[in-house]
Amino acid sequence: MTRIKSVRHLTQRGTCLTLLALAGSAVLLGIAGCGKPKAAQQPGPLRVWHWMTDREAAFDELARRYQQETGTRVRFELYAPSDIYVQKVRAAAQTGGLPEIYGVLGELRDLASFINAGHVLPLEEAMSRNGNAWRSVFFPKALAVNTFTRENAYGVAPGVYGVPVDVMNVQLFYNKRLLATLGLDQPPDTWEAFLDVGRRAAAQRLIGFVSGWAELWLIDCFATDYAIHEMGMKQVEATYRGKVPYTDPDWVRVLGRFAELRDSGVLAEGIVAMGNKRAEQLFANGQAVFAFNGTWGVNVYQSMNPALEYGVVMPPRTDPNRPMVTWGGAGSSFFVNAKSPRREEAIAFLTWLTAEPQQRYLTEATQNIPANRSAAADLPAPLAAFADDMDDTVHPRLFSVQEESTVIEAFDKGIQSILIGERTPEEVAARVQETKRLEASRRATRAARQEGGHAID
Amino acid sequence: MTGGTVIALQRLRQQAAQWAWHVVCLPVAASCLFPLAWMVSSSLKTQQTVFTDFSLIPAVPHVENYARAWIQGRFGIYFLNSLGYTVLVVAGVVACSALAAYAFSRFTFRGSGFFYKLLLSTMLIPIPGAFVALYILLNQLGLIDQGSGQWLPRLGYILPQINGGLPFAIFILKPFFDGIPKELEESAEVDGCGVLGVFWHIMLPLARPALGVVALLTSLAAWNEFLLAYLVFSRHELMPLQRGLLAFHGAHLTEYPLLMAGMVISIVPIVAIYLVMQRTIIQGITAGAVKG
Repeated sequence: MTRIKSVRHLTQRGTCLTLLALAGSAVLLGIAGCGKPKAAQQPGPLRVWHWMTDREAAFDELARRYQQETGTRVRFELYAPSDIYVQKVRAAAQTGGLPEIYGVLGELRDLASFINAGHVLPLEEAMSRNGNAWRSVFFPKALAVNTFTRENAYGVAPGVYGVPVDVMNVQLFYNKRLLATLGLDQPPDTWEAFLDVGRRAAAQRLIGFVSGWAELWLIDCFATDYAIHEMGMKQVEATYRGKVPYTDPDWVRVLGRFAELRDSGVLAEGIVAMGNKRAEQLFANGQAVFAFNGTWGVNVYQSMNPALEYGVVMPPRTDPNRPMVTWGGAGSSFFVNAKSPRREEAIAFLTWLTAEPQQRYLTEATQNIPANRSAAADLPAPLAAFADDMDDTVHPRLFSVQEESTVIEAFDKGIQSILIGERTPEEVAARVQETKRLEASRRATRAARQEGGHAID
Repeated sequence: MTGGTVIALQRLRQQAAQWAWHVVCLPVAASCLFPLAWMVSSSLKTQQTVFTDFSLIPAVPHVENYARAWIQGRFGIYFLNSLGYTVLVVAGVVACSALAAYAFSRFTFRGSGFFYKLLLSTMLIPIPGAFVALYILLNQLGLIDQGSGQWLPRLGYILPQINGGLPFAIFILKPFFDGIPKELEESAEVDGCGVLGVFWHIMLPLARPALGVVALLTSLAAWNEFLLAYLVFSRHELMPLQRGLLAFHGAHLTEYPLLMAGMVISIVPIVAIYLVMQRTIIQGITAGAVKG
């Protein structure tokens, strides 16, 4: 009986509590509702979302200078690591909460989807003002990465959409002291000489070559450099279009270069399981003769071992009569929110940020190559070597056709299997070609289904 | 064989068994402690020596790394924020989960089993999986940081954490309440206690070990949380402590000694909580284990 009473008692209390909870929610919503218009009435600072943790202090300093010069407040808001940043930007895009300026991480198709959804302001008009004044300050390659051409595959209106803050490329770092130990005063400029240095290093129990080849993009970078060097851009693009098979002797030869690297003993042990941070540690500590790494390596090595004596060269040529290229282009870029009422203020700030004095400051503070050509005129030695080769860079975004991501993955993983001696270059070429065939047939089926659907409609 | 010899042999056997346990447990303990020792050791080295000097006690300890980490990582403000968030989240989770677990344990109402299982099933949804939906909801409630006001965004950070912590806390507390004899409640009711009186005066004190476990696990989760903070906040002055560690962990460059010093600073409060509540927590875990 007592129990029944207490349950009844509880039911009455439960009703009261429910009412209280509802009242509480109403108050909460009321407060929340009051909060919003207040924020809208007072225009705050221009907000810039980015993921570049190592540039936070430099960006904050530039924001301070901009306020001093113009009176406009700018706030850089950092979100990292990059996967969190991507989620935040996507969520904000869906709710109309993007800031005035932000970065888009991911593949070209991700950027295209943001543009097509109206989240990115076309900058063609701003770039062209005053006789292309703004456009002319940049390295053309840096701007090209943020430009959609007339016949792009994503249906994006042609023009420039992003503002590069810095540029990068990936080259071969060499340790001067270790090279001298091997009896050389200059880095090898041919493939054979490079392999020979590797053999000598192996004989002296030194690590020849390190790179973060557990990360597929770095392998892809190296392989693309040599594919373009040996075959030329036209044949590479013809392969992506399906006109030339991966089993073509030229592709097998490119894949064979990795077997040569493996057999020469130049590669660090376990290179296919090596992350780039580990590779950087080995090179910075003077344990490896060569490192295949990007422009950012200058800052990393400086921080880990300021006494390290090193130089930077393009990867060695396999054919002295053909030009060598390397992966590169825009490092980081900013985009203007097309839906923001403060678009012009955002453009004004980005114009200021990419002007020579600010770009020089960023270079000093972060050891990156500026996107502004004039600011890159008198860089310190290692950065100058990278900057000098900017005209010889290539970037998959700039190819007239893009390879399917599944095929790229099969290609890069195939190279890893060559490096560990699991497959021959011929076997890998055949597997990649099979992936390409399957992908093409899938695409054809999809297209046929879509056409069928349209016909029924 | 005399009685004394038998006792001596038994003692010897017990000691041998103890030694065998120690031999098994010592490497496990060492493997747990080594990362912590490495973290403290690295926090006293320089960026140049952190990967070249492998000794656990550096020749020249750089204690100033802690001051640099505190200042560069803006730990002063983040530390206070984290402290506030953790206290409120723990209070919210403990209060709500204790009431809910008591209700699930003692009162039968239609669909109680279904609701309990439904609640538990939400443990399977990770916060990153619900990111976009959560962002939209918080944005519509005006609880996303838009650059002005600070209490609403802070509320937007605390409420989802309380919500996220409830299923596990209820899962821990309900079996504990189940195990408390009903006669105790009935005696209290005879003495004139109402439902809340029974809950407050009888059930809560008896559930203290389980509440300790809930409090510790929730404070661990709240103290280490940073994904939700990125979703809700845009101003660094509202961010929790974990945000400070990012200052040393760049996309390409990681300042290991400062990062490690920051991590040592960030784990100190949690270690202190554990040391203070150690006995209660072990009681709670053991009781939970016995109840199965």
